[in-house]
Amino acid sequence: MIKKNKANKVGGAAGNDKDPVPEDSQEDDAVGGAGPSGGASVADVDLNVIDVTEAPTTSAATGVAAEVFADATEAGGTGEAMITLDKVDKFFGDFQALTDINLNVGKKEVVVVIGPSGSGKSTMIRCINRLEEHDAGRIIVDGTELSNDLRNIQEIRRETGMVFQGFNLFPHLSVLDNITLAPRNVRKFAKKKAEAEAMELLERVRIPEQAGKYPGQLSGGQQQRVAIARALAMNPKVMLFDEPTSALDPEMIGEVLDTMKDLAQEGMTMICVTHEMGFAREVADRVVFMADGQIVEVGNPEHFFTSPREERTQLFLSQIL
Amino acid sequence: MTVPVTGKSGSGAGAVTWLRRNLFRSPLDSVITIISAVIAAWVVYKTVNFIFVTGRWEIIRRNEKLLMLGRFPEVHVLRWSITAVTLAGWGGLIAGILRARQIASGSIVPDAPFSARRLGDLAARFWIPAVVVLLTLGLASSSGPWITAVLAVVAAIAGRLIGPFIGRVKLGRGANATLYTFLAVLPVALYFYVVDAVGFDDWGGFTLNLFLAVVSIILCFPLGVMLALGRRSKLPLVQLVSTAYVELVRGAPLFVLLLLANVALQFFIPASLAPSKATRSIVVFTLFTAAYMAEIVRGGLQSVPTGQSEAAKALGLSPARQTGLVVLPQALRNVIPAQIGQLISLFKDTSLAGIAMGLFDVLNVASAIPAQGDFRGQGLIGETLAFTALLFWAVSYTMSRESQRLEKRLGVGTR
Repeated sequence: MIKKNKANKVGGAAGNDKDPVPEDSQEDDAVGGAGPSGGASVADVDLNVIDVTEAPTTSAATGVAAEVFADATEAGGTGEAMITLDKVDKFFGDFQALTDINLNVGKKEVVVVIGPSGSGKSTMIRCINRLEEHDAGRIIVDGTELSNDLRNIQEIRRETGMVFQGFNLFPHLSVLDNITLAPRNVRKFAKKKAEAEAMELLERVRIPEQAGKYPGQLSGGQQQRVAIARALAMNPKVMLFDEPTSALDPEMIGEVLDTMKDLAQEGMTMICVTHEMGFAREVADRVVFMADGQIVEVGNPEHFFTSPREERTQLFLSQIL
Repeated sequence: MTVPVTGKSGSGAGAVTWLRRNLFRSPLDSVITIISAVIAAWVVYKTVNFIFVTGRWEIIRRNEKLLMLGRFPEVHVLRWSITAVTLAGWGGLIAGILRARQIASGSIVPDAPFSARRLGDLAARFWIPAVVVLLTLGLASSSGPWITAVLAVVAAIAGRLIGPFIGRVKLGRGANATLYTFLAVLPVALYFYVVDAVGFDDWGGFTLNLFLAVVSIILCFPLGVMLALGRRSKLPLVQLVSTAYVELVRGAPLFVLLLLANVALQFFIPASLAPSKATRSIVVFTLFTAAYMAEIVRGGLQSVPTGQSEAAKALGLSPARQTGLVVLPQALRNVIPAQIGQLISLFKDTSLAGIAMGLFDVLNVASAIPAQGDFRGQGLIGETLAFTALLFWAVSYTMSRESQRLEKRLGVGTR
């Protein structure tokens, strides 16, 4: 496979004069420094990246936004694009939550999104299945462009499974009913078929014995695995994980991450927002670092954790590792 | 001040200790205890005295049919007996079918059929209405009510025993629909069977209050849910109409609305086309309670975390299914106590229909009979009102108990 320089917009000029993010004001200064330096070091970075990249994934470099789209379709996973975000902007009132987001996720690719809180990670993946509406740019999921047409949105949601930080299981339904609800009502499966598939999924997440219980009777880790099974029941082409382990007790994080690793090994296309750096290092094809609503740096995990190029990334990694 | 102590008070010494700790801990405690005890004893004495000594219950005994059925013609009372027995059997049948289906779907664990626990449970649920029914029967002047009551109990038990056999049969879609239609149509048919004979001019008493309440409850519930959803709708017109309706109806006293329906309707509709007084009452009760239900349900909808509808959305459920399958069931479950409170309130408010609409309901009867020839001038209104209050209380209390049971079953608070 051709090693391709994945162009990604770094928050150079555009990023720094916008509203400060309230939660992490101390980190704003770091971005201010990162922009100009990132723009100046294109050539160096390219060399570095090519040296370290062995996997058929892409590496990050600064570039013109227009190139992103063309380059990105060839990049990541099998090379075919599953999800494309093209110049996506998102505002909450006057506050710009996402600025010029360009990202391509290939089929079977696992992309891990990291970054400080308030950086727009969750907002970005919530835009992909229209839990948030983006204000500018294009989002394309498996060839279908997200528009305001409800049928269109429904189609994309059917192909996109989502796992939430707070599990969001339906407390009034048993585990089995949680999983079969959407297959029966959206895919119009007969009860028996839906339940047989649900049991297979519960085997896959290793808790078939909990089928008859209610979510409130399960531990956090079990609930999150049920939530994964519930999302998988729609047979999605993409799985979005929104900080799936952040609400868990430490001893339960492992079981959920193991389930996610299994999923990645089976070839599921995944975007994971997470703070689990070990998981990112082990499973991710690419790591995306976001700050202040922008993608600051994209790279394969090895490059990312050993020689991050942007100061902003370095600062973040130094704070958490 | 007083600290309840959990400990054995079985032995004499234990009881003394308990009293000292809980009722006579300090001089002030002792004074409060003694004053309270005197007041309580006086109230109990007066009540018992009224019930067993001074109360002249002959007026209830003589007017029992009037209090229960109004001026229902004697020749048609048999229709009432048949209706009561059929309804009892119908209720038993539904309970039996539902239970068998719940067991089949695994939502409840089957229990030994006649275990002491279940019989005790049944007694705890229904002993108060049973006592009131027995009391009423005890005052009855003929054997008719007794025979009806015995047959009704037999029918209820028979229905409850037959129900599971029907519930266990796997029915196709069509057969199922037929069964539910039959069960739904039966009470409507009974209604026509009763009303056909007399109409609302002669039907009255406590059964009329029950009828008004049941029909209004059934109608106000879906309307209230629709208004609640309407108030949260994204369509401005729907939202405006729902909000305006709720605010308008809640702003007027129920009594005024009933009077309006009684008096002012003739300005708009010719007398020949005007619906009966009972129908008008039902419409007013329904519309009035629906406004309150809407606000209760809206509160319930707001209590469901946004993550729930987000999860439903993310699964690709349509907006109607997001609401109907995920949000609404949780919302309604969360506000069961408030909903039942409103329905109990509606049930008691049916006593306004007598005075406002001129219907011959139980309160109207109770206020009228002390003026009957034999009882005139004896001041028996206390007896008739006490009996009326007892009837309302028995039903309201049962509703409240059953709602607590429902809450427990649906696991409120055990998320």
